[in-house]
Amino acid sequence: MRALLLRRLATAVPTLAAVVLLSFLLMRLAPGGPFDGELAMDPATRAALVHAYGLDLPLPAQMLRYVGGLARGDFGPSLVYRDFTVTDLIASGLPVSLTLGGLALTLAVMLGISAGLIAATRAGGRTDRILMFAMTLLTAVPTFVTGPALVLLFALALGWAPVSGWAGGDPAHLALPVIALALPVAGAIGKLTRAGLAATLRQDHIRSAHARGLSPSRVLLVHALRPALVPVASYLGPAAAGMLTGAVVIETVFALPGLGRHFVQGALNRDYPLVLGVVILYAALILLFNLLADLLYGWLDPRMRG
Amino acid sequence: MIRPRAPGLILSAIVLAALLLPPLLPWRYDVIDWGGVRAPPLSPGHLLGADGVGRDLLARTLVGARVTLAVAAAAALVSLVIGVAWGATAGWIGGRVDEAMMRVVDALYALPFMFVVILLMVVFGRSILLVFLGIGAVEWLTMARVVRGQVMALREQPFVIAAEAAGAPPRRIVTMHVLPNIAGVALAYLLLTVPQVVMIESFLSFLGLGVQEPLTSLGILVKEGADDMDISPHALLLPGGLLVAILICLTVLGERLRDRLAA
Repeated sequence: MRALLLRRLATAVPTLAAVVLLSFLLMRLAPGGPFDGELAMDPATRAALVHAYGLDLPLPAQMLRYVGGLARGDFGPSLVYRDFTVTDLIASGLPVSLTLGGLALTLAVMLGISAGLIAATRAGGRTDRILMFAMTLLTAVPTFVTGPALVLLFALALGWAPVSGWAGGDPAHLALPVIALALPVAGAIGKLTRAGLAATLRQDHIRSAHARGLSPSRVLLVHALRPALVPVASYLGPAAAGMLTGAVVIETVFALPGLGRHFVQGALNRDYPLVLGVVILYAALILLFNLLADLLYGWLDPRMRG
Repeated sequence: MIRPRAPGLILSAIVLAALLLPPLLPWRYDVIDWGGVRAPPLSPGHLLGADGVGRDLLARTLVGARVTLAVAAAAALVSLVIGVAWGATAGWIGGRVDEAMMRVVDALYALPFMFVVILLMVVFGRSILLVFLGIGAVEWLTMARVVRGQVMALREQPFVIAAEAAGAPPRRIVTMHVLPNIAGVALAYLLLTVPQVVMIESFLSFLGLGVQEPLTSLGILVKEGADDMDISPHALLLPGGLLVAILICLTVLGERLRDRLAA
């Protein structure tokens, strides 16, 4: 296990370094700069601005300056929100996104595993086929369709939930975005759980557990479910990535002040330091999630601990 | 649950309608009918109504589907070319080269794709060409893995060894003997890549980072429909429903082909 983790860390650190390097260089390659507005700028003002942001330094020096800042938790100034640093914007957006993502991931895991359990115990039956079709449907429908569709049904037609907004994390405001974000991941987890369980239930240790007279639910939940969840654990890394991407849309649809919204605004405004900072943070989060998934993997499957 | 022929038929119907129908409609997708602003469905001239600036929704939805499908096909082809080239090279050469090349794939797998594509959009401006090049460039990883596995298995086959013994140059063996044998599997994964690409394209367009006006795509239409849904919900449900139908049909077809070839 430790060897596996070390090996993963050995790829994760260079990957993150490569992300930082490449995205930094890409940003500097971009035609047109942040000060190319519609109004012509006085050359002296322009030179002063370029100098203030360090854009007149040679590229390696800019790079060093940026990485040095990152090490101190300083993502540099935002070029559009002049009164904020990128660190301020990330610090304000991250809690919103983490709340949203954490709740959605929990909901997706609960929904997905339950659906997979029910389907696998009725493998081949009508319930199984209906559930699995529903899971395929869930994975195929993108969040930017489910989000507005949920608003249309539950907010506009039925009036059960507010249309959008954050309201300081009020549960009623959170319900629809969390559900919309959770559904596709729940579908994928449901499919994986069902596939894993159906295979595990045919194995010898399950038959012997039944033969020892253990109750069917104990066999299912303790003996079969745990090994069956190994593929689910390995999906958690990609699931986290999916959540982050989904959150970009969901935060836009529901007007939530999270990281994803800053990211989209930054991309539309060509606010390079903001986009760069969020990409680096996202990459770090995804790598972290892959490591956590590996840990979970080892806990679920003792053979991996070696 | 699903009739075996249904996904293929629905998909063909959508593709045909998107290709053939728009010229037959009374209004073009980008022409404004000042008398028909927010026309409800079944209005004269606007079978499915018109949007907030009087553009025909049926024409817009069909042209949007056309653009979405075209971008998806082009991007999937880019991913096919990169994936097959990368995977076949790694699988054929083997050893250290293979390990290094697959290490690169593993590292890229860990990256947030969507953000890389958005980064590319921000840097190089938003053009439709870049949309599919960018998407194709990040969606080739699975293809590379699958192709590599297939090539490694084929490399040990007697007919390949015989070709080598007969002195055929490696390039010829790979293109004439190996690649034709992996065409089926590659096609299955190509089919599964298309819905992924459709999803990414509509996602980018939804956020305003993909296809730009006056050209339209299903993602843009969903976005416009979502902005207007309190007044005309069908403007959201039509393009959304069409997009979902395309995604489901492609996914079902791809999974079926993959499972058949794996069995």
